[in-house]
Amino acid sequence: MRSYIIKRLIYSVIIAWGIMTVTFVLLRLGPTSPVDRYILNIAARGQDVESVRQAIEARYGLDKPVIEQYFTYMGNLLQGNWGWSFSTSQTVVDLIASHWIYSFQLILLATIFAIVLGVGLGMLAAVKQNTKIDYAASIFSFIGISIPGFWLGLMLIMVFAVYLGWFKTYYDTSYPIWSLENIKQLLLPVLALGIGELAGYLRYTRSAMLDNLRKDFVTTARAKGLPEKTVIGKHVLRNAVLPLVTIIMFDLGSVVFGGAYLTEIVFGIPGLGQVSFNAIFANDYAVVVAVTLIGTFLVLFINLATDLIYTYLDPRIRYD
Amino acid sequence: MNNAIIKRSLASIISAAILIISLPACAAPSSGGSFIEGDVSGGEAETLNWILAADASSFAYAGYTLESLANYDNQFNIVLRCLAKDIEVSPDGLVYTLTIRDDLKWSDGSPVTAEDYVHTLKNLMFSDWLNYNYKDDWQEDTGGKKVFVTPAVVDGTTFTITRQTVQPEFIYTLYNLIPYPKYIAVKYEGDVDAFTRAKEFNDLSYTGNLGPYKFKQWLKNDKYVLSRNPQYFLGQDNGAPFFDEYIVKMFGTSAVMQAALEAGDITYCGIEPQNVAKFKKMPDINVYTVPTRGYNIIAYNQRANGWEGLRKKDVRQALSMAIDKETIAKKISLGFAEPAYSFIPSSSPWYSDNTVMKLGVAPLNDKQQAMQLLKAAGYEYTRSDGRDILLGEDGKPVKLLMVTTPGSDVVESMSLLIKQELAGIGIDVEVKWVQWPTLLRQYMMNREPGTDQEPRYNNGPRAVSDEAWDMTLMAHNTDPLAPSGSRVFFASDGGLNSFGFFNDLVDQLFQEIRSEKGMNKDDRSLMYGELARVISEEQPVDFITYTRANRGFQSNVKGIEPGINMGYNYYLWRFE
Repeated sequence: MRSYIIKRLIYSVIIAWGIMTVTFVLLRLGPTSPVDRYILNIAARGQDVESVRQAIEARYGLDKPVIEQYFTYMGNLLQGNWGWSFSTSQTVVDLIASHWIYSFQLILLATIFAIVLGVGLGMLAAVKQNTKIDYAASIFSFIGISIPGFWLGLMLIMVFAVYLGWFKTYYDTSYPIWSLENIKQLLLPVLALGIGELAGYLRYTRSAMLDNLRKDFVTTARAKGLPEKTVIGKHVLRNAVLPLVTIIMFDLGSVVFGGAYLTEIVFGIPGLGQVSFNAIFANDYAVVVAVTLIGTFLVLFINLATDLIYTYLDPRIRYD
Repeated sequence: MNNAIIKRSLASIISAAILIISLPACAAPSSGGSFIEGDVSGGEAETLNWILAADASSFAYAGYTLESLANYDNQFNIVLRCLAKDIEVSPDGLVYTLTIRDDLKWSDGSPVTAEDYVHTLKNLMFSDWLNYNYKDDWQEDTGGKKVFVTPAVVDGTTFTITRQTVQPEFIYTLYNLIPYPKYIAVKYEGDVDAFTRAKEFNDLSYTGNLGPYKFKQWLKNDKYVLSRNPQYFLGQDNGAPFFDEYIVKMFGTSAVMQAALEAGDITYCGIEPQNVAKFKKMPDINVYTVPTRGYNIIAYNQRANGWEGLRKKDVRQALSMAIDKETIAKKISLGFAEPAYSFIPSSSPWYSDNTVMKLGVAPLNDKQQAMQLLKAAGYEYTRSDGRDILLGEDGKPVKLLMVTTPGSDVVESMSLLIKQELAGIGIDVEVKWVQWPTLLRQYMMNREPGTDQEPRYNNGPRAVSDEAWDMTLMAHNTDPLAPSGSRVFFASDGGLNSFGFFNDLVDQLFQEIRSEKGMNKDDRSLMYGELARVISEEQPVDFITYTRANRGFQSNVKGIEPGINMGYNYYLWRFE
């Protein structure tokens, strides 16, 4: 197992390096320039766009050959220097260090919320198949899957913040991360991000549970006189959860890469989604490459974690 | 006796009560509270090290803590800030003498001196190592060579700037000047990387008493927090500024930002036209409609890869005549715009209403007359399905391509209206939406075919863009005080003259305005009037509308003077 993990980690580094190199080269060779967004401002000041472009590119070394820029970047990266973000005027490390926590707390809470409630309601719906509870869960899941998260976010703000005044209309970074006020203000964003996932997990859990409930080993367990709680919790759920793990981990990768971004935008949460989005529009190459690299490592790590969780959940799976 | 004592005591109590009640009325307006300005994230500043900035927001962010030499009120009257008196210009227009106040201080308590200003110019802005973006402002053309103006220290508070050529509008550049402290700047000189990362410059810790606020915190994509500067040099007599904190809060969408204003979570933000009526009904919100520097244009491609008709003045006039600007202003901009006829807005002191040709507004909004103009220009019409169809020189129906960027309801509605209006004079318009970088590179940048020229926005009259186009719908900005900056669009060598407009008279007028001939303001005004006339007649672009902005404030904010420069006195704003 250890050699498998080491091998996967080495592969991860190679894949990440490849993705970083492709991103770096594509960004530099692409048709955009950091100056694009200033053109109207430059024009309003009666300035020559070309001279401003040359000034900016010279200052940040963007006028050098791409290959030279690449080796300089790689050299710096190996020394722990991720570069300078010219659109935010700070080091990339500082930028990420001051923003990751906002994305992390949102994704973590939304995922816990979706898993706990989604799996719980899914189990309940399966056990109470064709009852009012099952129908209510189905209707809820269809609505949850259908509603776009950003729209739900806007509606939550209008109802709970503007009309009822229970919450602020935006996420306030003045509150400490570990405070009740912070937990309270995360309720709406977690709902907006988590409802869709929750609805999905509910459907998957219900379906997987129903599949397993009809299997022979369940009948055997019941025939042995095991309590219903043990049958459902230990036998049915454990078998049903394996495909769920794949889906949940896959979703986690998607959320990290983009799903949380819209929620961050709507609620004004200054997380990495916003950082990367703004960096792309500002052609802030150093930040884009760094965020891509982090995203790549996260997805590779999630994939590895998924494989390892399989071995725990299903002892038949071995990688040796 | 007792009665007398009681009476005296009562009188004393009543007098004291009257004194206490009357105290707040006599004192300066009370300070306190946080003023929270909402902005959408695209408008966030990039740096507080303002000399490196290319975006307008960075200058604005730094400006909360650093006053320039002077600014303008809503009527464009000069309001002195760091200047002790207005700039003196020598009779020959070549030497500018600037005298700063003697009570300006850096954070270490040392005085801000003329040497700081001159050092900022000579050693930073004019240096080769820093690559100041706007160095063109400080250069002049002498015999085909660009040279910097010459700053020199006279004494502790006075310095001069000497030019070799006259440029009457150079004074507006001077008013915006902000210094760097020499005692810190020398530490980083010659090392652009170190200067870029210098802590003092990135947290504005050097700003002393130069601005109403002091830097407190900046969390990117979230908020920029400033705290009251009790030492502010303009607040020594009146206690300004009056807010404890000034916060710029970023929002991902304008919808949430406006919801925050409605809920009272922020103090001020811009309001979109469609929401103005709703906010005006709210008792807690005051909405001010003010002119802006922005305008919309349709640029006509007069280069070789545009429709050949667009190279004729009469044809351009005809097209502009067919497009109803009043409808655009009233129906699309919901009344928050006014028809535009020139690059000089009506709010500018240089605007001349009686010289411009008012195409697109009655009586010069007339499709029949437009069709007559096209016929007079040598084009014929044919009828098909009951409609008049304009035929090109090749005898085929004229079909024009209009390129614009997506993402704005106003631009999309405007595009469709323009298509409809031009259909009314027999011209079929195809609207193509492309992203901004694509618009710039494929349609605006050009080069001479068959050469290895580096693409630029104006590579001369023979240059063409990679993709053919006929019209673009864009937004521009202008400087109402020095509109000659628009030469970048309309002069033959203008760096953004991507549509290929070349006119000797226009070139000459731009040159004269920025020469000795423009020194007399009345003469300059006449020259601007003539320039606006020529450009409005030539119609290289159709000036559509000047936009008006709507600013929503919580109604307890006092001291606001609505107008084009409504923030000029923001340090005097206060909560009721």
